[in-house]
Amino acid sequence: MSVIYGWLDEYFWGATVVLKVFGVSLVMAVLFGLIGSAAKLSGNRIAGILAGGYTVVFRGTPELLVILIIYFGSAITLTTVSQAFDPDIQFIDIPPFWAGALAIALVVGAYMTETFRGAFLGVDYGQIEAARALGISNFKTFIYVRMPQMWRLALPNFGNHMLSLMKDTALISVIGLEEIVFVAEIATTVTVKPFTMYAVVAVIYLAITTVLTLAVAGMEKYANRHLETSR
Amino acid sequence: MTFDVFLILNSIPTMIEGLGITLKLLFLSTVIGLALAVVTLLMRLSGHWLLTWPAMFYIYIFRGTPILVQIFIIYHGLPQFEFIREGVLWPLLREPFGCCVVALSLNAGAYVSEILRGGVLGVDRGLHEAGKALGLSTPHRFIYITTPIAVRLAIPAYSNDFISMLKATALASTVTLMDMTGVARTIVAKTFAPYEIFIAAAIVYLCFTWTFQRGFGLLERYMSRYVKKDA
Repeated sequence: MSVIYGWLDEYFWGATVVLKVFGVSLVMAVLFGLIGSAAKLSGNRIAGILAGGYTVVFRGTPELLVILIIYFGSAITLTTVSQAFDPDIQFIDIPPFWAGALAIALVVGAYMTETFRGAFLGVDYGQIEAARALGISNFKTFIYVRMPQMWRLALPNFGNHMLSLMKDTALISVIGLEEIVFVAEIATTVTVKPFTMYAVVAVIYLAITTVLTLAVAGMEKYANRHLETSR
Repeated sequence: MTFDVFLILNSIPTMIEGLGITLKLLFLSTVIGLALAVVTLLMRLSGHWLLTWPAMFYIYIFRGTPILVQIFIIYHGLPQFEFIREGVLWPLLREPFGCCVVALSLNAGAYVSEILRGGVLGVDRGLHEAGKALGLSTPHRFIYITTPIAVRLAIPAYSNDFISMLKATALASTVTLMDMTGVARTIVAKTFAPYEIFIAAAIVYLCFTWTFQRGFGLLERYMSRYVKKDA
């Protein structure tokens, strides 16, 4: 066990990278989910087809493949484009952090699109009509009437998507992001204790997912507090 | 940068070999995973803490950590121990294929047992009481009343899990297994044409997810054929 102590600081910094990727891609995924569900509900045919294609493609392709396509694809495109300006350039890529965060956000955003769509449909249409009758603008209806009620319905699934997003961050080590799986790889080559090193990674992930699960449970309780007394 | 169609055509034969490994992984680990899930489910439903707690612990560990980390622990980590290297399971755990089957099955077992539990809990209590009133024993009630209905209720969630399993098989490429993603990665490393090869692989995955989704949809319709349609 004592071999771990020398690596604790590395794991700590790796864990902060994991949390950073998680935060960045969570924001992007929620954004993609909101845009996607808005497109699907807009009634516009082209927007609907685009959003439908987005969800089909990104829910059906392995996350690892999406990460590889975005990282290597963007690298080759950027290199070609920049070589047109300056022939001396050898290789340019998007940092693995951003390529990976974008890739997993695209995948989880596709799942969130479906969740948000269902949640928006779950808000009684009479509420929207009432808001319209009161002369509240569409934007304000969205912010003050639809969003607060939709969140409550979306929370359970949203929590699950957040957990899978958290676990997907491990895949970004494949394209060379220096997070905890990467730290474990390095530590293994030095100490030749692979089980111990990867077990630490598992424990860190388990701790983060446990905290997330508890947080979502707390949020659900808060969101449903107006239903408590009626039961 | 050009889009080379011939490169895709030339890579099809090797891709098909990789596809074979992907499908073998998928079917082996879903079958073993299903068996594990049923055992875990029965342990959880038993009501005895000596059986319930290990089952819950198993589910907690495997749902809380990334599959990639699980694969790494089993493939890189387990050989750290002398008794594994001299044990009966060594021929299986020495090969990347065996490790991936073990990791994916254990992972599937944890997820599927939760899905099946959802199905079992969704069965109307009245049916259970009716069975009791007719004098059916507990095993008979479980086999003839609970199981058929629980399976029908669990199919939609199970189909989603089956597709996540298909996507998870892509992770086998990280432990040198030549599944479809592994083949695609080797070809890209040789030709440096990420768009053509990775997108071709993604299209194959999409075809399979679509087929499986359709298949499960038909199965669900078949199993719900006697259910009264609402409205």
